[in-house]
Amino acid sequence: MAEVTLKNLTKRWGDFVAVDGQSLEISDKEFLVLLGPSGCGKTTTMRMIAGLEEPTEGEIWIGDRMVNDDLPKDRDVAMVFQNYGLYPHMTTFDNIAYPLRVRGTPGSEIEPRVRKAAEQVELTQFLDRRPKALSGGQRQRVALARAIVRTPKVFLMDEPLSNLDAKLRVTMRAELKHLSRELKVTTVYVTHDQIEAMTLADRVAVMKDGVIQQLGSPDEIYNDPANLFVAGFIGSPAMNLINGSIQGGHFVTTGGTNLVPVRAEDRKEVVLGVRADDIRVSEIGQGNIDVPIYAFENTGEATLLTVQWGSQRVIAKGDRYLRKEQDDMIGISLNPEHLYLFDPGSGSRIRA
Amino acid sequence: MRDSTLKYLLVLPAIVVVFATAIWPLFESLRLSFTVGRLSRPGSLEQYLGFENYLWAFLYEPAFWNSVWVTTIYTILTVGLTTVLALGLALLLAPGGRFRSGVQTLLILPFAMSPALIGVSFRFMFNPEFGLFDAVFGVLIPPLADVSWLVDPVLAFAVCVMADVWGWIPFLTLVLIGGLASVPQDTIEAAQVDGASGWRVFRDVTLPQLAPVLAVVIILKSIFSLKTFDQIFMLTNGGPGTATQTLSHYIYFNGMKYGQIGYAASVAWLMVIPMIFLTYAYAKFVFRRE
Ligand SMILES: Nc1ncnc2c1ncn2[C@@H]1O[C@H](COP(=O)(O)OP(=O)(O)OP(=O)(O)O)[C@@H](O)[C@H]1O
Ligand SMILES: [Mg+2]
Repeated sequence: MAEVTLKNLTKRWGDFVAVDGQSLEISDKEFLVLLGPSGCGKTTTMRMIAGLEEPTEGEIWIGDRMVNDDLPKDRDVAMVFQNYGLYPHMTTFDNIAYPLRVRGTPGSEIEPRVRKAAEQVELTQFLDRRPKALSGGQRQRVALARAIVRTPKVFLMDEPLSNLDAKLRVTMRAELKHLSRELKVTTVYVTHDQIEAMTLADRVAVMKDGVIQQLGSPDEIYNDPANLFVAGFIGSPAMNLINGSIQGGHFVTTGGTNLVPVRAEDRKEVVLGVRADDIRVSEIGQGNIDVPIYAFENTGEATLLTVQWGSQRVIAKGDRYLRKEQDDMIGISLNPEHLYLFDPGSGSRIRA
Repeated sequence: MRDSTLKYLLVLPAIVVVFATAIWPLFESLRLSFTVGRLSRPGSLEQYLGFENYLWAFLYEPAFWNSVWVTTIYTILTVGLTTVLALGLALLLAPGGRFRSGVQTLLILPFAMSPALIGVSFRFMFNPEFGLFDAVFGVLIPPLADVSWLVDPVLAFAVCVMADVWGWIPFLTLVLIGGLASVPQDTIEAAQVDGASGWRVFRDVTLPQLAPVLAVVIILKSIFSLKTFDQIFMLTNGGPGTATQTLSHYIYFNGMKYGQIGYAASVAWLMVIPMIFLTYAYAKFVFRRE
């Protein structure tokens, strides 16, 4: 039951800046996801909130208390470590029970609570085993159970599902979502997985090189990216980014193809962003331009068509029942409602 | 010459040396332990007594029991003190500890000194006329100014223990620093976040993971403490009286000073019994498989 506030938080190792002047207000009960490429400072941010890493500058507040000088044990957070951090000399049961024991929970309460946590992560039959005798995914679930066995002020979860198989990951994701709504505990969650980010988050913070690029609801991040980095990072397949210019209200690719009308002033250099699902696939002559298919992929729930003209390659999402062959000609049209323009130099969004 | 002959010829010198310096003396001492074995009496080295020497030690030699007692207390105290102090130092000097620095290298110095040298230097330091300790105690704690350390039985024993602990701490500290470095940092961090105080992290997480290394340290140190000879020989020569006479020293005295080689050999073989247990335990910990 607490807000977490980061004020101008910075972490430097020598000259290297891992987290750069980060300010972030996470409200009570909010589920915030930190998303970003490897090495962008997600784990470092978490470790500073937990008290395992001392900030070079800035303040960390949990609730109405500045916790910079508090020891980890006094911050009342529960953390799932990226590399689990299980106690190798203890059984699964004792691993999960440890936070309860060390905080003086009455003995009679421990057993049922450990069992409940183990059930939530489907680990009940492994309670007697030591971590060494568990698979990677099982270990990760022990780490998860050890965090959810008590109700802290803040959950910190560093890629808690990264090592699970696809099926279990979906189940656990739902379990976590349910749990976070039920327990109503402020959660900071790190992931590489965009689906996890989109489904779990109240808000997503997209990070790059220690700086938050955009902070917003999953919807905003996906549909209203603040800059080129966020646009390219979020979404699978990644957003198509096409270099070109604007001439007389039309976007013209570098190769000279007059692609689509846009509402923007003329400029020499611009990047046009368009998502695969915002490109409509049609028969020849019915779209903005006609192009040959470079590759045709069927994912089951949809089809992906990579088309190429000149040096330009673009991915479009087609109907689930669409069947085409490589080198077939099709027409594509870009939905003018969902085009994004970026400045190629600064990467910032150009808004009409 | 054929290869197979050559290969035996080449290792022959080594085998001869090992046999002459280790194997033969070992069996010879076992044989002697069953004889009258007095250097002063010709022919007594072939005069067999059966187990009489062994029984003699048990039944009629208070000095034997005294040295067993001295050795036991000496071993318990030196092992206990060295291990606890070395562990404390290791925690301070280990990565993430408070005082990590080049000091680590300096620490090895006492261990580089031979035990006999340690014995001599401690004897000088506790010399009542020009000893360093004596002078320091005289200034800091005046009532202790006129204490003759090596004359009082209990104090002399304490000085022996002190010298041994001083000489062994560095090495054991280094071993334990190595042990601590192999305790995964993330388990310690997990415990801190789980709410454990510094002491509980140490007790619940660090210590159990350090246990195998700690066991090896304790066993090794026990073996060395049991065998202690040179340091005591130089420091107190077993005295005053027999207050600091360890088993090794007792064996040396009986064999070399009194010429009772047969009897000394039997006591030496009695000492083998605890050694075998410790060596077995050591081997178990060092070579155990997970
Ligand atoms: N103790 C350290 N000393 C020096 N640099 C460090 C240290 N810990 C982390 N870094 C650097 O800080 C940067 C951020 O690391 P961090 O672990 O926060 O990345 P991350 O976003 O969690 O990446 P991943 O997704 O791969 O886990 C990395 O470039 C890393 O090399
Ligand atoms: Mg990380």
